Amino acid sequence: MTQTEPVAKKSAAKKTVAAKAKAESEVKSVKPSSKKKSGWAFPFTAIVGQEEMKLSLILNIIDPKIGGVLVMGHRGTGKSTIVRALAEVLPFIDRVEGDTYNRTLEQYIEGEEGKKGRKSIDPASLSIEKIPIPVVDLPLGATEDRVCGTIDIEQALTSGVKAFEPGLLAQANRGFLYIDEVNLLDDHLVDVLLDVAASGQNVVEREGISIRHPARFVLVGSGNPEEGELRPQLLDRFGLHARIITILEVEKRVDIVKRRREFDEAPESFMKKYSHDQQKLQKKIQTAKELLPKVTMTDEVLTDIAKLCMNLGIDGHRGELTIARTAFAHAAFLGETVVTMKHVKEVASLCLRHRLRKDPLETLDAGEKIDRELAKLLGEAEAV
Amino acid sequence: MIAFTDIVGMDLAKQALMLLAVDSELGGVVIPSAVGSGKSTLARAFADILPKGTPFVELPLNVTEDRLIGGIDLEATLATGVRVVQHGVLSKAHGGVLYVDSISLLDSSAVSHIMDAISRGEVLVEREGLSEVHPAKFMLVGTYDPTDGDVRMGLLDRIGIIVPFTAQNDYRARKKIVNMVLGTRDAEDTQDELNMLAGFINAAREQLPHVSITDDQIRALIQTAISLGVEGNRVDIFTVRAAIASAALAQRSDVDEEDMKQAIKLVLIPRATRMPEREAESNEAPPQEEPPPQDEQESEDEEAPSDTPDAEAEEEQKETPDMIEELMMDAVTMELPDNILNISLASKKKATTGSRGEALNFKRGRFVRAQPGDMRSGKVALIPTLISAAPWQETRRRDSKMAGRPKTALLITKDDVKIKRFRDKSGTLFIFMVDASGSMALNRMRQAKGAVASLLQNAYVHRDQVALISFRGKQAQVLLPPSQSVDRAKRELDVLPTGGGTPLASALYLGWETAKQARTKGITQVMFVLITDGRGNIGLQATFDPTAEKASKEELEKEVEALSLSIQADGVAAIVIDTQMNYLSRGEAPKLAQKLGGRYFYLPNAKAEQIVEAAMSF
Repeated sequence: MTQTEPVAKKSAAKKTVAAKAKAESEVKSVKPSSKKKSGWAFPFTAIVGQEEMKLSLILNIIDPKIGGVLVMGHRGTGKSTIVRALAEVLPFIDRVEGDTYNRTLEQYIEGEEGKKGRKSIDPASLSIEKIPIPVVDLPLGATEDRVCGTIDIEQALTSGVKAFEPGLLAQANRGFLYIDEVNLLDDHLVDVLLDVAASGQNVVEREGISIRHPARFVLVGSGNPEEGELRPQLLDRFGLHARIITILEVEKRVDIVKRRREFDEAPESFMKKYSHDQQKLQKKIQTAKELLPKVTMTDEVLTDIAKLCMNLGIDGHRGELTIARTAFAHAAFLGETVVTMKHVKEVASLCLRHRLRKDPLETLDAGEKIDRELAKLLGEAEAV
Repeated sequence: MIAFTDIVGMDLAKQALMLLAVDSELGGVVIPSAVGSGKSTLARAFADILPKGTPFVELPLNVTEDRLIGGIDLEATLATGVRVVQHGVLSKAHGGVLYVDSISLLDSSAVSHIMDAISRGEVLVEREGLSEVHPAKFMLVGTYDPTDGDVRMGLLDRIGIIVPFTAQNDYRARKKIVNMVLGTRDAEDTQDELNMLAGFINAAREQLPHVSITDDQIRALIQTAISLGVEGNRVDIFTVRAAIASAALAQRSDVDEEDMKQAIKLVLIPRATRMPEREAESNEAPPQEEPPPQDEQESEDEEAPSDTPDAEAEEEQKETPDMIEELMMDAVTMELPDNILNISLASKKKATTGSRGEALNFKRGRFVRAQPGDMRSGKVALIPTLISAAPWQETRRRDSKMAGRPKTALLITKDDVKIKRFRDKSGTLFIFMVDASGSMALNRMRQAKGAVASLLQNAYVHRDQVALISFRGKQAQVLLPPSQSVDRAKRELDVLPTGGGTPLASALYLGWETAKQARTKGITQVMFVLITDGRGNIGLQATFDPTAEKASKEELEKEVEALSLSIQADGVAAIVIDTQMNYLSRGEAPKLAQKLGGRYFYLPNAKAEQIVEAAMSF
C-alpha cells in the first residue's frame, strides 16, 4: 500500500553532509540528517484495523522503557504504512538546538563536559528546540559504519581532520528505530543492535579516536515469519510482540481500498479530513505521557502478573516487568490512574507471546494459551 | 529488435503489460513462462508502448549491493577530494521500468533491496559514510522460467500483475514467432502498428482518472480474493486498479464485468492458495442466508450457487445479489480451471523452500561486499582495504614521523582491514523419513516431530533446513517440505496419519528427489534420517500403479538396494535409527544403513534429543 505515494512530491536527492562547517573541537557534529520523508504519509488515524499493532506502538510512545515492538505477520497488511504514519502523531521532545544526538540540556552538558579539554558549559549559552520524536528507518543494506557512525572521510581528505560523523543510532536516540524485514537483517548488524540496546550507548573506535554517545531508542521490527526466524536473543529484546494478519471482513477491506484511493487522488484534502483525529490522538498520547508517573498498581495485581508468568513457565523476570510497564502505559492511555487486571488482560498476549517456550508441536496458539491461563487466574482471583 | 506488436502469442502477458503502461501504480508485471516462449523479447519490447524517453533499465543478475542501491564513486572521489555519489540501478530506473530477466534466480539480498525500494518509492543509501535518499519509483517487469525456481512471495506481493503460467505450446504461434525472429516483417507496417498502439495507450492513460468503480464491484473483487485465500490486503488495491485500467483501455468510464474478470485473472488467481470450493469447509460461520429448501431454489434458478464459494458473499451481502454471484460463478467456473493451484504461484511456493537458506559468510559463495573484520577470520579484500587506508596516509605519516618510526610506503592499520563477505546457501538439509506404518508408528512419529522441533530451534544458528517424509500405506509423502520455519513445521505436522503398509522404497525415492531439488537451490549437504525398523513391504511399483501385483521379498530388497546405492553415490549422508524393541528386530535396519553407507543407531524409546544428537554427530 505504501508504494502509491505521489511522485510529484518527492524531492530530488538530498545532500547530507555540510563539509564546510569546521567544528572548533576535534569532533565535528554533522547536522542531524533532516531526512524528512518527502511526500505525504498516510494518516495514522485513517488506517483501518490492525489495532494490536497500533496499540503496541502507542504504548511504546507513552513509555519507551517497554522495550519496543516486534510485528510479525502476513504480507501486504500495512506494517510499514503504520510505522511510517506513526511519525505524524508523535509528541514533541526538547533537545539542545541542533544536537545530533537529540540530547536534553542536562544530557548535553554532561556529555560535552566529560570530554577532554572541554571547559564547563554555561547552560544559558544553549538554546532548546522542540522536535517531534524521531523515527529512523534502518534499511536492509545499511552498512555498519552508517549505523554506528564513522570518521568523516571527506573531512579527512580535504582538511586532514578526524571528525566523527554520527550514524543512524545517533539519530535514533530518544526516538524510534524501525527495521522492516528484521528477520532478514545481517547477523553482524544484529550483534551491534543487541550491544547498543543492552547498554544504551554506542561506542565507536576508529583512527585513534573513541566516541561514546547515548543511543536509547524504541526498537520496532517487522517481518513475515515464513521468510525466516528471528534470532532468539533479538526476539527477547523486544518488549512486545504484535501480530498482524490479513483482514477478512469485507466491509473493512472495502473501506481500506476506498480510503487509499481517496488518498492517492487528493492527498492534501485527505490529510485535512483526518487532521482533527490526528491532533486528538497526538494530544491523547501526550496527556497519557504526563499521566504515567501518577499511575499506580496494587500488590494484588502485581502478584497476579507474577503468577501468570509462573504458570506459563516463562523464564526470567522480563515477562513480569514488561506486563507491569505496559499495563501502566495502557491505563495512562485510557486516562486512568490505577492499573487493574482489565489492563493486564489487554496487554498480556502482547507482552508474553514471544516469551513462551517454542514448541512446534503445540497446537494451541501462544495467544490462546496466555488467554486461557489468564482466565484461570482471573477466575481464581474472583473466587477468593 | 522485435517490436511489441510483432510478438505473437503471449496474449495475456501483452494485456498485462498494456495495463501497466496505462497505470504505472500497478507496480509491475511478472511473467513466468517456459524457455524460448519469447517472454524476455516481449518484456524488452515493453518500452515500445511507453512514452518516449521513459527509462528502461535491465538489472544484471550478479549485481552487487553498491551497484544496486548506489554508493561512493571512488575514482571520482579520490580525484576530486569531494565525495561523489554514484546512483544505483534502482534509482536509475526511477520514473521508468526496471527489467529483471530470470527474476527467480536473483540473489535474496537483491530481492530485499528491490522490495524495499518498491515500498518506499525511493532508495535509502546508508553506507560508507553516505546518507542519501534517491527517488526510485519504477515499474518492475520480471520474467522467469518456473523450472528455475520461484520468486519470493514478498516480492510478488508488491507487484500488481502476475501473468498466469501457461506453457506456450501452440505450434502455429511458435512458427510465427520463429518467423518474426528471423525478421520477415515490413518495418513500415510495424511502425504503423506501434504508433497506433502507443496512441491507444496514451488515450487510455488520459481516460484513467475518469473511470469509476462502484462499491459493489469493489466488494465483489474483495470477496473473490478472500474466497481464493489470497494473503494480505494490499492485493485489493491492485485488483481494483487493474479493473479500472482495463476499463480505461476500452475507453469506458465505468468498470464492467469483463474488466473485473481481467483483474481477477491477472491479479488474484496467480495468488490463490486454495480452491474456492473449500471456502465452505474452512469458514467457521455457516452461511446464514442460505434458504433451507435447497431443491426448490435449484429448480427455480439453475445458476444458483449451491454451497460453494460465495458462502461468505451471501452471508455478508444481501443487497448486492445477482451481480456478485454471477461474477463469482463466472470467475470460479470459467476463469478458474481445475489446475488453478498449478497456475497459482502462491500455492506452489508453499511447497518449496523458504528463501532464507542463504547466509552471508566469510568463506565461500558469491562475493557480495567487503566489511570490516579481523584478518584471521576470513579472506582479506585487498582493494577495499587499500581504499580505506588511502585517506589516512597523510595524517598517519605525520604521526609516524613524530613517533620516530621508520618510513614505510603504506601505513595500514587493523582498522583498515576489510574482509570479504560471501553469500552462500550453505547449511545441511535433514530429511527425516519416518515409518508411519504399523503399531509403533505413533511412537516414531512423536519422536520424529520432537527431533524436527529441536533441530529447527537450532536451525537459525546453523542455517540448516528440515524436511519430513512419512511413509505408510501405498506410498511416501512429503509432510514438511524443506523449511526453516518453526511456525510452518507446527502447521504442517499438526496431523500425522499413521498405519498401513511400509513403502520403504517409495520413501527413499521421494527423499532422493527432495534432495536433488534442494541441491538446485544451493543446499550443499543432505542427510537422511530414517526412523524405521527397515522392513519395507510395499514396492515402488505399487506406488505408481495401485493394481500392480504385490512385489516379492527379493524384488523389494533389490529395489531398496539399488536406490540406496544410487543415493549413496549421489553423496547423500544417511543414518538409520531403529526404535523397535530388540526381540522384534531381524537385522533389517542395520542392513539398510549399510546399503546407504550410513550409520545405524539402536535407540529404543529414543528421546528427540538423542535423535538430534545422532544426526548431528555424523
